[in-house]
Order: sequence, then C-alpha cells, then structure tokens
Amino acid sequence: MQEAQSVASGISGADIATAAKYIAAGICMGIGAIGPAIGEGIAAAHALDGMARQPEMQGALLRTMVLGQAITESTGIYSLLIAIVLLFVV
Amino acid sequence: MHEIFSQLAGLLAHLGEKPILVIPVLGAEIRVDWMTILMSWIVMALIVVVAVLLRRGLRQPVEEKPNRVQATLDALIDLLHSQLSANFSSEDLARKMFPFVSTLFLYVLVSNWLGVVPYLDSPTRDLNVTLGLALLVLFLSHTLAVRRKGIKRYLRGFIEPYPFMLPMNLVGEVAKPLSHSFRLFGNISAGGILVTVVFVKFAPIIVPPILNLVFGLFFGAIQAFVFAILAVAYINVAVES
Repeated sequence: MQEAQSVASGISGADIATAAKYIAAGICMGIGAIGPAIGEGIAAAHALDGMARQPEMQGALLRTMVLGQAITESTGIYSLLIAIVLLFVV
Repeated sequence: MHEIFSQLAGLLAHLGEKPILVIPVLGAEIRVDWMTILMSWIVMALIVVVAVLLRRGLRQPVEEKPNRVQATLDALIDLLHSQLSANFSSEDLARKMFPFVSTLFLYVLVSNWLGVVPYLDSPTRDLNVTLGLALLVLFLSHTLAVRRKGIKRYLRGFIEPYPFMLPMNLVGEVAKPLSHSFRLFGNISAGGILVTVVFVKFAPIIVPPILNLVFGLFFGAIQAFVFAILAVAYINVAVES
C-alpha cells in the first residue's frame, strides 16, 4: 500500500502524456479498423456471389474486388498512420 | 544470442534513428535517407541483372521453338498484361501505358520483397519513395489528359458537373496521390513493424518466418498489384472523363 502510494505520487505530467499516447494509439487503431473490415467483407461477399453465379467472370470480378478493397482500406491505413505517428513521432 | 536480436532490432526499427544526410537549402533543409537510396539502387541492380541474365536464355531466331525460360516468361508477362491492360478503356492507351505500369509493378514488387531479406530494407517503407512514385503517376496522367483532350477540355473537366464543384474536384485530385502513396507505405511499414515486434518481443523462432511469408511476400505482391492497378485507374480516369 505504501509502495503504491509513493509510486502514485511520483507520476508526472510526462508519464500521463505517455500513457495517453499509447491509449490513443490503441483506440485509433481499434476503432479505425472496424469500418474497412466491414467494407472489405461486404465487397468480398458480393464478389463471391457474383463468381458463384457466373464463374466465367471470375477474373474481372477478382480484379475489381481487389481494387475496391484497396480503396476501402485507405481509411484504415490513415488511422494506422495516425497510430504510428502517436507511437513513434509525437 | 540476445545481442544479435537487439542489434537486428536496432537495424530494423528504423523509425526515428535513420542515417540521414541534411542538405541546407535557402533556410529550409532537405533530408536524405542513405538507407533508402542504397536499397533503391539494390532493387534497380537486381531487376537489371535478372533481366540481362534471363535475356541470355531467350532464343535468338524467331522461327525456333520457345525454350523453357521463354515459355515461363511469356506466361508471366501474359498474366500481367491480361490483368493490367484490361482496365484501360482503349487498346491504344493500353499498348502505350503497359510498359510504364508493368515497370512500376516490378519495382514495387521487388522493393516489397527486399524487406524479407535480413539486413535489407524495403525502399517502399519510406514515405518519400511511395510519394515520389504516386506523384509520377499524377503528373503522367495529367500530362496525358492535356495531350489527349486539349487544354480547354482538360480545364473544363474541373468545373464539371457544376462550376461550384471546383473545390471538390481540386481536393479530389490532391487526395489521389496522398491515398495512393500512404496505402503502400502504410501496408509495408506496418508489416515490417509487426514482424520486428513479434521477433524481438515474444517469438524469435518459427513464427517470424511465417509472418514474413504473409506480410512480406503475400501482402507485398498484393500491394504491388494494387499500386499498379490504381495507377492504371488514375491514368484512365484522367484521360477519359
């Protein structure tokens, strides 16, 4: 108990800032990954639907799906960049 | 044993502690990363050497049957051609742009795969490289658009469908190279950081090679393809609309 109190009194503003940095990076990545994950899942599901219906269209569907998923992914990549900046640069 | 790991980690954890050359120019400064330049030259040397070596394996006269090397290369180039060229709106544009786009693909692919080799680093893990490539694509697409459509129709493209959409269109044009470059940089550097963290912090054996396989080789190939196909899409949109 004594030890915990002495540790608690030794916390400075810089420590709080460091903790906030890590928490912010975690929240940023965790929430930021939800949107792209759902979006890419929807894209893959519909591409699979199309492939099952018309197997001869597989090549074009796959190409378009990958392209669409890459664009969908950008928001996730932005949050990743923010997380990297929070962790390593700020 | 642990010292080797920490040394390797120091080499791989490059964010913030790079060997950087600073050139002062008119008050501002240009920062040049030696590692990126060295790795970029290694990638170029690899591509040129492999191309020259493979070229020697090709048949000389046209009449002869293709040998194994040529058949393999034909199949690979055919695959690349069918995947990339199909996205161009016209055959003429596809024939003109395929060498550029496939070169972009090859450079990015070899760059991404270079990160798998110990002690080497992907040049695409540096934002400057990917931003440079994206700006190259942007510049090329706009130049082509002006040449194909004429300056008047090119400028009118910015105020379509309505003149008050001009700011939107301009923001859209600026966002293109940003998202194009950030995507490649983010994917490759995130893969590198993840592999390094796992390697240093909790699983130095067995797991890192598998992660390298997934993040280095598989995602590297996917991202190279995505980068090339987005270049195709951007060039196509600029020339078409």
